[in-house]
Amino acid sequence: MNHRGGKGTDAAGRSTGARSHRPNGLKKRSLAKISTAIATAAIVGAVGVGTTGVANASVVNLTWWTMWSGATLQLLNQMTTQFNKTHPGIHVSETAIPSSATASTAKLLSSIAAGDPPDIFTEWWPEIGEFAADGDLDSMSPYLTGKYAGFEKWEYPVAVQGGTYRGNLYAVPMGLNSWALYYNKGLLAKAGVMSPPTTLAQLQADQAKEWVITNGKVQQLGMYPDLNENGFLFYASFFGAMNCFNAAGKYDYENCAGAKALMNWIASYSKYPYAQVMALQTAMGQVAGGDTDIFSGGKAGFTLSGPWEGAQNIPTTGGKGLQGDFGVIPFPGTVGGPSTIGQGNFNIIPQGSAHPAQAFEFISWLAGYQNEAFMGTIDPKGGWVPGGPSVTKQPAYQAWLKANPWLGPFLPQMTSKYTVAPALTPTQAELFNAMNTATSNVLEKIMTPEAALKYIDQQGNS
Amino acid sequence: MQASTSLPSAQRTRDTQAQGLRRAVKRRHTRAGLLFVSPWVIGFLAFFVYPFFATLYYSFTNFNGIQSAKLIGFTNYVDLFHDPLFKTSLFNTFYYTACELPLSTIVALGLALLLNMDVKGRAIYRTIFYIPSIVPLVASCLIFVWIFNPDSGIVNDLLTDVHIPGPGWFFSIVWSKPSFILLGLWGLGQPMVIYLAGLQSVPREMYEVADLDGARPWQRLRYVTLPMISPVILFNVILQLVLCIAYFTQAQVIENGDVGGPGTSTWFYVQYLYEQAFEYLKFGYSSAMAFFLFVVSALIMVALFKSSSRWVYYASEQQ
Repeated sequence: MNHRGGKGTDAAGRSTGARSHRPNGLKKRSLAKISTAIATAAIVGAVGVGTTGVANASVVNLTWWTMWSGATLQLLNQMTTQFNKTHPGIHVSETAIPSSATASTAKLLSSIAAGDPPDIFTEWWPEIGEFAADGDLDSMSPYLTGKYAGFEKWEYPVAVQGGTYRGNLYAVPMGLNSWALYYNKGLLAKAGVMSPPTTLAQLQADQAKEWVITNGKVQQLGMYPDLNENGFLFYASFFGAMNCFNAAGKYDYENCAGAKALMNWIASYSKYPYAQVMALQTAMGQVAGGDTDIFSGGKAGFTLSGPWEGAQNIPTTGGKGLQGDFGVIPFPGTVGGPSTIGQGNFNIIPQGSAHPAQAFEFISWLAGYQNEAFMGTIDPKGGWVPGGPSVTKQPAYQAWLKANPWLGPFLPQMTSKYTVAPALTPTQAELFNAMNTATSNVLEKIMTPEAALKYIDQQGNS
Repeated sequence: MQASTSLPSAQRTRDTQAQGLRRAVKRRHTRAGLLFVSPWVIGFLAFFVYPFFATLYYSFTNFNGIQSAKLIGFTNYVDLFHDPLFKTSLFNTFYYTACELPLSTIVALGLALLLNMDVKGRAIYRTIFYIPSIVPLVASCLIFVWIFNPDSGIVNDLLTDVHIPGPGWFFSIVWSKPSFILLGLWGLGQPMVIYLAGLQSVPREMYEVADLDGARPWQRLRYVTLPMISPVILFNVILQLVLCIAYFTQAQVIENGDVGGPGTSTWFYVQYLYEQAFEYLKFGYSSAMAFFLFVVSALIMVALFKSSSRWVYYASEQQ
């Protein structure tokens, strides 16, 4: 037996038992050392964390899940940093999670089920009604006392409406959208249209002059209702078709005059090739990594969009000549008066949040409540309408408005009595999907407007 | 006398000890065996058996994924048959399966037959035809949307050059499902390779005998090749069938926001099931959908296996 070099081998150089004994001894010692090191590291780590202030016992740590990346995420980082700086007792950590609706919902649900949800979650509104109805959210109404007693009055009415379910406030937007009609001055001039339309009939006539279809391919278009993914929903307030319910509280778009008018208007675009328009939209998005739509790419006379279009999309492709060559008007011929859909990026407090009161403090701060000056600098960068009108009075926001006169129509319509948010209901997601499907079916002549409205009711009430 | 009585006794003791030892060894082996298979057994119980019975249970409940489930009997199953989108998704999946399964079998087998021929550069051809199957699925989908884009895609450009009006492909209610079928045919490298392996295992003597009997190429294929590779065909058909029934990823990637669109032309069954659970929070309903799918799939598989005795030839069984 040979023990040289710590290795046990027989004369033929094969392993022997001695070989395995020695390394085992070493292994045990190594394991002991590793265990000690891990334990020491854990203790040191724990002490270290305890002294950083982030996990200090007096500091409340909040987790915030958002769905953005890129420039918007950078803005959110700025907001979080500012909040942490000005609120030494609270520390917010932000996490970006996948942005598709179903993926983010799945993540949120599993975190609630596991008893470890984030304290704040930013949500598109389709699921808020469902979440609220199922008891998956903490109501914010109990916090509307003391310095927050005036919070709801401070917000835009449509923001309150869009976040309220059965009298309880469940969601607060940190930024709202306001929709108006963009027009491409150059394309209109080329088509002989010297001023933007003031009536729906005029819009129809003007947009028809801009379509260019060669060999079955759409090269350029005037206007198309389905460019915003959900043509019916985003145009609903203009036609008085936002919340159509019957006496029993069920969706009833089939018997809603506004809904009929809107669906007929959508059907008037079925003479254009749906597939080719959608293909052009996709091609434009692919070229610029998904940021460019047909309008910002200079291929559409009109589009319905929010202030972010002019603030973010158009500058991105500004080199192509659209920058400075567009205007914005309220959607012409709206029922009643100027209006828009009340929609935005809402923050919610999932059930089981460890610190709901502090979460509400952060959420109201994000909306701009008692934080007007700071949000007045942030909202313009995102192209957002703030949660409350007082933010728009701030010097930074006013400077933005002054520098960009095209923003004119967006704010006044926020306070219009015709501006409404979709009512929160347990089947809102089903309703929105049905509106989307019905719109494309009408544009592809698969459904009549009447059948489409019936379909919306059927799915929305399922 | 003492010796004669003590010897069997000692023998018995030794036998008993040997038996005990054997039992101990057997127990040790059983323990070791169980220990080795335990990761799989635990995984199987946790990720297959438990979810299966949980799905069955939840299918009889109203469950939103968080609050406790409430038993509602067969309501979810009754609702399924009153849900037009359920029927649409079932039809779309059936349409896709009915077209994709035979087409993919014919194309993959046809390619394998071609690539099995003794031609120059065979290895290069095999590589070329296999490459699409190693392209990540999402990348394949995006490439397909690009080349089949009716506005700027190369396919419609080529069709226009020969004066054929290009269809709307993925953007058209009429053409969306055929577009997905074409996409399915693009990534057939995997079954093609399996067919190729099957073809190469057919004994040469069989062809020599067929040649001596004066068999023509079609007869060689019909009476030698196909029967000999029929187990491989069955295997591939089952795999493709499962993939068709559970069609999800490609549709989810390509629709990108317009789920099931355009219109409802591409609502596939599993997509609709997923949407019910994770967008509409109807976990009970989606569990009923899942169990219904299981039953349908099981029936199809049973029918397939039953029919296989008529058209699948196992050489080993004949011996």
